[in-house]
Amino acid sequence: MNVVSARGLTKTYGRGRAARKVLDAADLDVSGGEMVAVAGRSGSGKSTLLHLIGGLDRPDAGTLEVAGSRLDRLTERGFTDLRRHQVGFIFQFFHLVPELTGEENVAMPTRLVNGHSSGLARARALIRELGLDEVSGRLPHTLSGGEQQRFAIARALVNEPAVLLADEPTGNLDADAARTVLRHLRAVASGGRAVLLATHDEAAAEIADRVVHLDGGRLRA
Amino acid sequence: MRLAAILLGVVLAGAVALAVADWRGGSAGEPPTGSTLSATYVDPDGNGRLDRGAGEALVDRSELAPSARPGRQLALFAQLSDAHVVDEESPARLPFLDRLGAPLTSTFRPQEALTGQVLAATVESLNALGPQAVVSTGDLIDNAQSNELSQALSILRGGTVDPNGGAPGYDGVQSADNPDPLYYRPDVDAPRHPGLLEEAERPFPSPGLHAPWYPVMGNHELLFQGEVRPSARTSSVATGRRALLRLDPSVEIPTDERALTPDLVDRLLSGGLPGPTAGTPPDRSRRQLPAEGVARRLRGAGDVGGRRPLLDYSFDIAPGVRGIALDAARRDGGAKGRLGPGQIEWLSRELDRAGRRWVVVFSHQPLDSFAGGRRALAVLDRSPGVVAAVAGHTHRNSIVPRRSPSGGYWLVTTGALIDYPQQSRAFRLLQTANGVALETWMVDHSEANLAGVSRELAFLDAQGGRPRGNAGTRLDRNARLFKASSIRR
Amino acid sequence: MIASARGAWSRLRGRRGRSLLAAAGIAAVAAMMGTATTVAYGLATGFDRAAERADLPDLIARFEPEQVDEVDARVEALPNVASRSYRQEATEVPLASAGQATSSGAVHVVGDGRRGYAIVAGDDLSGAGDEVVVERGLADAWGLAPGDRLSVAGVDARIVGVAVAPDNVAFPLASAPRVYVASQGLGAQLGADPGLTNMALIWSQDPSRLDTTLVQARAVSFGIDNLRFLTRAGVQVQLDEAAGIVIALLIAFSAAALGVAGVTLGATARAEVQRRLETIGVMRGLGFSRIGVAAQYGLEAVIVAVPAGALGLGVGALLAYGPSARLLESLNELPPGAALLAPLAGCLLVIVGLVALATMWPAWRAASRRPAEILRGAELTARPRRLPYPAGFFGLGARLVAARVGRTAATVSVLAVSTALVLLMLALATRLDALQNDPASLGKRYQLTVNGAPDSTLPVVRDVPGVAAAAPRYEASAADSFQLGETFKLIAFPGDHTEYESPPVTEGRRVQTAGEAEIGAGLANALGARRGSTIAAQLGSGREVRFRVVGIVAALGNEGRVAYVRPTRLLEGDPGLTPAIAVRLSPGADPAQVTSELRSRGIDTAAVGAATSSSREFLGVLADVLRVVAIVNILIALFILTQSLALTALERRPTLAVLRAGGAGRREVALVLAGGATLVVALAAPAGVVLERAVLGPAVADMAVDYVTLPLSADVGQITFAVLGLLLLALTAALWVARQVGRTPIAVALREE
Repeated sequence: MNVVSARGLTKTYGRGRAARKVLDAADLDVSGGEMVAVAGRSGSGKSTLLHLIGGLDRPDAGTLEVAGSRLDRLTERGFTDLRRHQVGFIFQFFHLVPELTGEENVAMPTRLVNGHSSGLARARALIRELGLDEVSGRLPHTLSGGEQQRFAIARALVNEPAVLLADEPTGNLDADAARTVLRHLRAVASGGRAVLLATHDEAAAEIADRVVHLDGGRLRA
Repeated sequence: MRLAAILLGVVLAGAVALAVADWRGGSAGEPPTGSTLSATYVDPDGNGRLDRGAGEALVDRSELAPSARPGRQLALFAQLSDAHVVDEESPARLPFLDRLGAPLTSTFRPQEALTGQVLAATVESLNALGPQAVVSTGDLIDNAQSNELSQALSILRGGTVDPNGGAPGYDGVQSADNPDPLYYRPDVDAPRHPGLLEEAERPFPSPGLHAPWYPVMGNHELLFQGEVRPSARTSSVATGRRALLRLDPSVEIPTDERALTPDLVDRLLSGGLPGPTAGTPPDRSRRQLPAEGVARRLRGAGDVGGRRPLLDYSFDIAPGVRGIALDAARRDGGAKGRLGPGQIEWLSRELDRAGRRWVVVFSHQPLDSFAGGRRALAVLDRSPGVVAAVAGHTHRNSIVPRRSPSGGYWLVTTGALIDYPQQSRAFRLLQTANGVALETWMVDHSEANLAGVSRELAFLDAQGGRPRGNAGTRLDRNARLFKASSIRR
Repeated sequence: MIASARGAWSRLRGRRGRSLLAAAGIAAVAAMMGTATTVAYGLATGFDRAAERADLPDLIARFEPEQVDEVDARVEALPNVASRSYRQEATEVPLASAGQATSSGAVHVVGDGRRGYAIVAGDDLSGAGDEVVVERGLADAWGLAPGDRLSVAGVDARIVGVAVAPDNVAFPLASAPRVYVASQGLGAQLGADPGLTNMALIWSQDPSRLDTTLVQARAVSFGIDNLRFLTRAGVQVQLDEAAGIVIALLIAFSAAALGVAGVTLGATARAEVQRRLETIGVMRGLGFSRIGVAAQYGLEAVIVAVPAGALGLGVGALLAYGPSARLLESLNELPPGAALLAPLAGCLLVIVGLVALATMWPAWRAASRRPAEILRGAELTARPRRLPYPAGFFGLGARLVAARVGRTAATVSVLAVSTALVLLMLALATRLDALQNDPASLGKRYQLTVNGAPDSTLPVVRDVPGVAAAAPRYEASAADSFQLGETFKLIAFPGDHTEYESPPVTEGRRVQTAGEAEIGAGLANALGARRGSTIAAQLGSGREVRFRVVGIVAALGNEGRVAYVRPTRLLEGDPGLTPAIAVRLSPGADPAQVTSELRSRGIDTAAVGAATSSSREFLGVLADVLRVVAIVNILIALFILTQSLALTALERRPTLAVLRAGGAGRREVALVLAGGATLVVALAAPAGVVLERAVLGPAVADMAVDYVTLPLSADVGQITFAVLGLLLLALTAALWVARQVGRTPIAVALREE
């Protein structure tokens, strides 16, 4: 079953002569348990694709279905719900809140859903799973990049989303740390979630179930 | 290098200190001559504040003789008049009579606690002038009291003067706690001078007159309030321990001074003081002196000799210049002058004795203001050597010519030291081609010992010399008075 | 220079919305200052201006009719007199015009010489037969104009002019309307003897030496009956009796407005610079010097502040001009007119200067950092710390705000000052209300007065239920005999007056015997009197009574020019003095009921007001003005909070974006912002309360009036109001900014990185 299903996705930035069609009738399907890498040159629209799927931005045209919701028909509130329950995001620059400890960062999104205490337990379990027990009480700026990204993964997973979107997750990490992060992402997919990875990291492409290339606004396998 | 800098600094600092000291010495050390020829006190904007302003040059007055080039100086002398040194704390004072009008005016003055200080400051200024003689033309004191005369004479003699009467400190109508709105109270009223009264009662120094001085008898030396012959009753009031606060409304003071006889006053006082009284510290030295006593003390102090009851005498102002003092004060009461036939004859003889010398006649009351005086003027009219008849009493500056067949002479009166403008008068007699020129100019007293405050208060006084125009016109003050005469020396 | 101005202009246009917002803020603050300045300046200078225009004499003497020659001889002898003229005043003269009439007119028969009034319409008297000049108060009240007819004591007269003389308040505030006639004109027709006078007008050469003139005038006053001196300063005191406290408060208020203006403008400008740090980085990168950067920003600020400030000041001044002019007219004073432009221009300079400085300083400081550092943005420069705030979004907000220690401190202090000012305004307004309505604020503890002979009335009054106590109250106007310009009131109760009037003793003790007095601080200041001094009061009877000062009290009434004494001496000085009866009610008694009880016994009562009736309306208006200002102030606080939150949101765009990407909706974002705002408020509110109670309140109370201690500390209710208001503001600001944040697409916010 497809967790993500996009048909004819189109997105243009700018107007008039400055207009740049980033996505031009792109199609994509990702099913649960699948890890798909989106490859492409810098600026080719990888992030835009992820943002559209994650409900951070709206497509200009095309249909997009994520975890059973038609995104092109959702209200703002619907988008918020989608992000809250169905989508997890990780970024190249981790984006941990610098004032919060690793554990607090992970637990923050659980306040957005019912059952905060069970969420907290999930957060701790995830931290254990990702091998971050020892450093869970530290502030982000005292952590290594790998550790930060693993906290970010934990944060993205804590509300048990159907799809995990990772935008260049290894772009800011050394090879060892990158390998660890990719291994964890692989594990996430194996756990039944859909993982969509925007990257130009060869290692990432290798570990993915499949690689799609974004070129000229279109996706090809 | 550093040492040099320090040395330089020390030298510079020393130089500055010396310069400052020199500058301070230059302004303070130079005694003010008081001559109004160079500078005097003026209030150009009329706001009631006196400031030093430009002096007044001599005005040539040629009514009697044409102007002529002054030559050799024959004499330099000065006149002070109507100092009214007063024991303002005395129970014999009747300051409340002021508001009843004539004849008892000026029974209170805002500056009256400072009369001694003003006289001392005048002495200081006259000493700076350096005259050959100084004549006091009467009313040296105010109320015929022994202690007033003692104070005035000690100021003229020099030394430390104690102006206080009664108990130590001030005890009179100007105290801050006097509710009567008609008195100026320096502690509370404007211009405020807190502590002025206490200060006024403290002993102060007087340099004493350096020149020989000659007393002329005034009515205030002899008479109670300058009007009434002292009696046992009035004297006991002066030395008593009760002071009259105000006159009983039933008491009527006659408006004619001739009705103000000793009998009337004695009658008024027969039942004690006529009105509510307050306690006052008594002072034996306030006793009122008999006329002979006053004359005796004045003769002694002025060193004019003689023993006659009347203070008529003549003296040398300078070689070739005679002074004649006439005693026109009435012994029986009343402020007007009087000269008896005997005195007129005596005057005539003295003029003859003067021969070819120049003569200046001095009296308290101006000779043209009373019958005896006019008879004396008739005598003077015949004498070509008479330059001027000089008087006080009016508290007002004036100079008028008196024409006579023998060439005429000048009638001069001079304002009082107690009232604004508080000036004395300097005279300088100069030889001219066809007679003499009598230069005269006013002399301001120095500001020593509160005298400056007295001048300020006298100026403000709405019943004083300013509104009355006592300063006269410029012609009445600083002038060169020409006289032609057949006398050649 | 022109080029850089053009550059600044285009940059401002480039972000038109924000420039307009900044301009609006500046205009609002300027309007506040404009209002305060107009009213305060008008009132503070109104008397002097009118006195100048009217050629008001420095000294007015009133007395029983005397021969002019007799009086003039004495006046002429006074020192420091520049000129003098004489009038004859007749009172209780019937005046009538179409449909209007009064029997209490005052006719001033004027002769030659200076007139002492200003003609504000028509012409002065020429001396022709039927001419009359009317005071402006009468002209306004009766709708009279030059050319109209007025019946004066039955004689038909032609109004030739309208005059203003600030030696009294205007009709109808003054009960007797005044008209002027010439002695050789209508005066003769009315039968006035030109040889008589009962009023002398004296102009001095040097007004500062008027006291010496007065002392001499007193010394030569014997034989002139019922003499009353009124100095120009005394006139001013009389006129300002109503407005005195108010003027002082307004001046204090202006100072407060300036304070608000300063902090607001400063905060706004600072926020603007923070917002545009990036531009500074670029400018630095392009090679601009620090001074160049600061100058650019200063120039932009000036371009915004000059028109906005001028507009605001203009609007404020126009709003306040009308009411303040009417007020001045009722006091027989003149509005400032063009003279107001100078202080307004001064205000504009202050505003523009403040804005420029407040902009240039942070720009200068920001420009000191390395361009790369500036360009990288603010989030990375702060080193986060573990802070003991609650977890969750609310707590997160607090942490986000607290992370920026410097800015938070600045915001907190600005808000604290603002809070303190709001509290001050509320306290002032409350105090004014009290002055208006509550006799207790003037230290009065009785609520009613009753007229009637004490012997017969007192027992009746005391029997009425609800009456706790009643006693005769003597009041006499007096002039100090030492310093004749000073007038004051003597108030006496037999026995302990504190039962009825109890102004607090600030020095010394209460009166115990007949010869003692407690004097108000205002009188003490005027006379330079201290404990142990003697005061001498000249009563209406012409007699003098003396008292020894044993205590100084903080009395508000009559500008503190009061003395509390025992009646014995007062009655010796003026046996004709009749008392009113002061009635103190039992706690809880209804004044209306007691009043009707008394009326049923045939006794008329009067309620005891606090301020005089003439100033009551005035005080009310002012209290309202202060409340409006407090509200404006609250809006300004909202502005500051919003600015600060918007800045935080801007800096923490990535953080907020990640939260939003993780599913945080507007509610959660608002919660984060509310957390931050609450932290600021939690710090600012207590600081503001402390500031008001410990510093501003006492300072303004001191500044406002030197003769009394006005309690200006905010009470619990006001503090609660202010704190709750602030929290509400925090919430509002958070919601507002959250909305703005929600409008930015998350993707865009994330891309900023």
